[in-house]
Amino acid sequence: MAEAGADLIRRMAARDGAAFASFYDRYSPLAYGLILRIVGDRTDAADVLQEVFWEAWQAAASYDPARGTPEAWVVIRARARAIDRVRALRRRSRTFVEPVDEVSSDAAADPSGDVAERAVARTTVGSALGALPEAQREVIELAYWQGLTQTEIAERLKQPLGTVKTRMRLGLERLRAIVGGQGA
Amino acid sequence: MTHEPFDTEAAAYALGALEGEQLARFETHLAEGCARCLAALREAGDMAVVLAADAAPAVPPTAVREALLRRVAAEASPARRQAESARWWTSWATAAAAAVLVAALGGLFVQGRYEPRLAALGRETAALKEELERQARALGQRQADAAIAQMLRDPATRVLTLRGAGPIPTAEARLLWQQEAGGWLVVTNLPPAGAGNAYELWTISGGRPTPAGVFNVDASGRATHRVEPVAQAVDVFAVTVEPEAGVAAPTGPIVLASR
Ligand SMILES: [Zn+2]
Repeated sequence: MAEAGADLIRRMAARDGAAFASFYDRYSPLAYGLILRIVGDRTDAADVLQEVFWEAWQAAASYDPARGTPEAWVVIRARARAIDRVRALRRRSRTFVEPVDEVSSDAAADPSGDVAERAVARTTVGSALGALPEAQREVIELAYWQGLTQTEIAERLKQPLGTVKTRMRLGLERLRAIVGGQGA
Repeated sequence: MTHEPFDTEAAAYALGALEGEQLARFETHLAEGCARCLAALREAGDMAVVLAADAAPAVPPTAVREALLRRVAAEASPARRQAESARWWTSWATAAAAAVLVAALGGLFVQGRYEPRLAALGRETAALKEELERQARALGQRQADAAIAQMLRDPATRVLTLRGAGPIPTAEARLLWQQEAGGWLVVTNLPPAGAGNAYELWTISGGRPTPAGVFNVDASGRATHRVEPVAQAVDVFAVTVEPEAGVAAPTGPIVLASR
């Protein structure tokens, strides 16, 4: 499966349109589900999806199997573009609708951090993340689904940056162990 | 030898959570070809895939696929473009058909002699119309093609019904058809063809099937498929299940057929 995906990307690099169609059919449901979850709106998600696969077509020649599987290549790109979109929408709403930074105002309005809690509450029971202690899961979810940097997470959670880095590291190490276990 | 902080930064890098100097330092280190970090990056990528599993995969709007294939076709290498043109015609035309069919079903182009026919089509495919409207909206309706609109008004246009055959008796399709101009196949109630498969349309003349393109249905079992004109008069239109790349002669079961 992974090899076939890499082969499709190689053919895309040689400007093979049929390979692109197969590549899209194989990976678009995964990418679209991910994008939809991050941006929340179907029209925005469809735009982002098109952007992601157009980029994949353009960047096919630079795909390096040493850096990851085709699936990871798509997922990382999809996630990054979806988060770009969310941030752009946030900026726009700040500029034209809301003069206040709604992220920090959310956090300020509710010191218990309801935004973070909502992100955590969405976690599907039984997922790999579910196996992590809540504090570790929380920082990983804020980074993964909301695209916050470690500094932003520290601000959001009102925790020292060092604590956030440690939690992320421990959580990711544990996830790596889970992934490694699945891959065996 | 101190390899920190790179050991733990690979994962944060894959999550896009590195910033500033930390990010620049890690990318420089990667560019130097550190095998250990490449391995860590691969693992981080696998983690990103595992995390993505928290979101259920979703079927994207068909308009995205069509728009992408149209853009890609414009860039694909000429030799391949020629060889694979049969696969690519869907890319330019579906959007136009969507807009046009919306207009037609909405009554804008209905002429007296086609009113009963189109009204019936409209009644039977109200859900399809909604889908097409959604697609047309998504594309800003800028792709509307007057030539295809005329097809719907043209007395020479035939509206054929394809009925579910074999394994999927509830499937149904309409074909707007002119031998010289080609036409449009509008499918409803067809389940997904399955992993690695697609539906392939055939024009059958004198008992000989000719490929007329591969298509897939969306989550609600619908598809709109452009059909190229053919040289010979067509006796039967049929749809079979085939490998997604399409085949030159039918191998799978017939799921839709005219007559
Ligand atoms: Zn290293």
